[in-house]
Amino acid sequence: MKDYGKVKAVQDVSFHLEPGEVFGLLGPNGAGKTSLISTIVTLEKPTSGQVLVYGFDVTRQPSEAKKCVGFVPQEIVHHGFFNVEEIMRFYSGYFGYWNNQKRIEELLKKLSLWPHRHKKVRQLSGGMKRRLLIAKALSHNPKLILLDEPTAGVDVELRDQLWELIRELQKEGITILLTTHYLEEAEALCQRVGIIHKGKLLALGPTQELIEKFTQREIHICTKEPKSAITHPLLISQEGNRLIFRIPSHQTVGEILKSLQISLDDVVDLQTKEGSLEQAFRRVIGEELSC
Amino acid sequence: MLEKQIPFWSLLVREVMRFYKVIVQTVLAPIVGSSLYLLVFGVSLGRQIKMADISYLGFLVPGLVMMGVLNNAFQNASSSIISSKFSGDLEDYKVSPLTYQQIIWALALGGLFRGLIVGTVTFCIGQLFYWGMHHQFLGVAHPFLLILFLIIGGLSFAMIGLSVAIRVKSVDQLGAFGNFILVPLIYLGGVFFSIKTLHPFWEHLSHFNPVLYFINGVRYGILGTTDVSIPLALGIAVLTIVSVNVFSLYSLRNSSFSRW
Repeated sequence: MKDYGKVKAVQDVSFHLEPGEVFGLLGPNGAGKTSLISTIVTLEKPTSGQVLVYGFDVTRQPSEAKKCVGFVPQEIVHHGFFNVEEIMRFYSGYFGYWNNQKRIEELLKKLSLWPHRHKKVRQLSGGMKRRLLIAKALSHNPKLILLDEPTAGVDVELRDQLWELIRELQKEGITILLTTHYLEEAEALCQRVGIIHKGKLLALGPTQELIEKFTQREIHICTKEPKSAITHPLLISQEGNRLIFRIPSHQTVGEILKSLQISLDDVVDLQTKEGSLEQAFRRVIGEELSC
Repeated sequence: MLEKQIPFWSLLVREVMRFYKVIVQTVLAPIVGSSLYLLVFGVSLGRQIKMADISYLGFLVPGLVMMGVLNNAFQNASSSIISSKFSGDLEDYKVSPLTYQQIIWALALGGLFRGLIVGTVTFCIGQLFYWGMHHQFLGVAHPFLLILFLIIGGLSFAMIGLSVAIRVKSVDQLGAFGNFILVPLIYLGGVFFSIKTLHPFWEHLSHFNPVLYFINGVRYGILGTTDVSIPLALGIAVLTIVSVNVFSLYSLRNSSFSRW
């Protein structure tokens, strides 16, 4: 739990990450995502409860826990008078790497920052600044990367680059926790997600399972001949020869067709629209709001 | 053991490079200020001030050396914290395995180095003026004590700078501390005058100013004369550095590292 005076920023939140997975912490602005991530990296002290990073308690064994974590903050860090290479050298030094030039060079090349290593942060483009934050976080070979809103306010091209990078990091075996309020991002990247709202964890599970649990599929059936008026609990629209149903994930199209006694020969066209994480998110948040 | 100190050395190198990159502002400007004090007060006005056993310029040099060390040590540590609060890299200290004591000593030593550069150059310029006036250089009566007081003073004031900067909520608050507390303590600590020239009430009150002991410690180190007992000055210097270290630790533990 994390309180700021009377405000409960994080309440009774409990979850764990599987090694090597990309986990998304989703929630609207002010949901408690940054408070939670700040607690993991010790920027905030938990009011109560425990955070373990690879078995190390972040409050009692902060040094050991911090060595396992790479933190990418939401906002750009400027570093005043220092250039990219100096920033990397100091930062990896804080983690106990004195002569880390090989790793620094490897990371800067990988993130296309090597030609800009003598530039100061203010001379870099927005994308380069973001990549520098990631390079810093990777400088000490962490097992876990925390990305706080990595694509907030970035253009589509940079977003795609960052997504690709996250996938590459996962292939290298790094566990990733990212916070985002872009649900498309979470759906594209995360194997599991947690939905947090007003400091409470409302839903947690594999992304696909949450989508199936909290959304319905839409089925558009186009028949050869218009059907007489149909009464079916899952029917949401009937216009001429076009029928639209919204069905739970566990129900099949075949079952619907069978219950309506429509043979496949009668069907001209059949379309299904799967539910999205956004729909699941809205449902979860909506349920909370209606409580 | 040495490996555990890599975070400390990294931060210390960063601190030294930080002021080195803006050396005109951090080192040359204070030296110009000290030189003007020497010229205006020491050389020009000083000719009309009669002292018992030394010229006023000779009396002034140790005070200005220590003032340069204390001021610059304070400013280096405080401006490092404040600029990091603005740029956001203060969070780097917190999310990395740097311990609070490593942060304190790295910033304190960074401040001390800058202070010692300013103090040393001020001493050299003072020597030139003194030679111009008296055709001889000032001696150093007690080199070990001189270095000891300079180091303890510089480290203490850098730690004060760190503590104040990490606790304040705005640049205004830091400025207020400097202008209303630090500058009066330094100026009334015997840089420009001997407290023996004061009214007994003010002389007595001056003994509660810890800066008085640092300045007299340095004056004793260079000239061999002092307004206060040197064992007492040494005791107060040690007590000061221990106290401000504890206060720095408390301040780091209980302050936010988040950006402004």
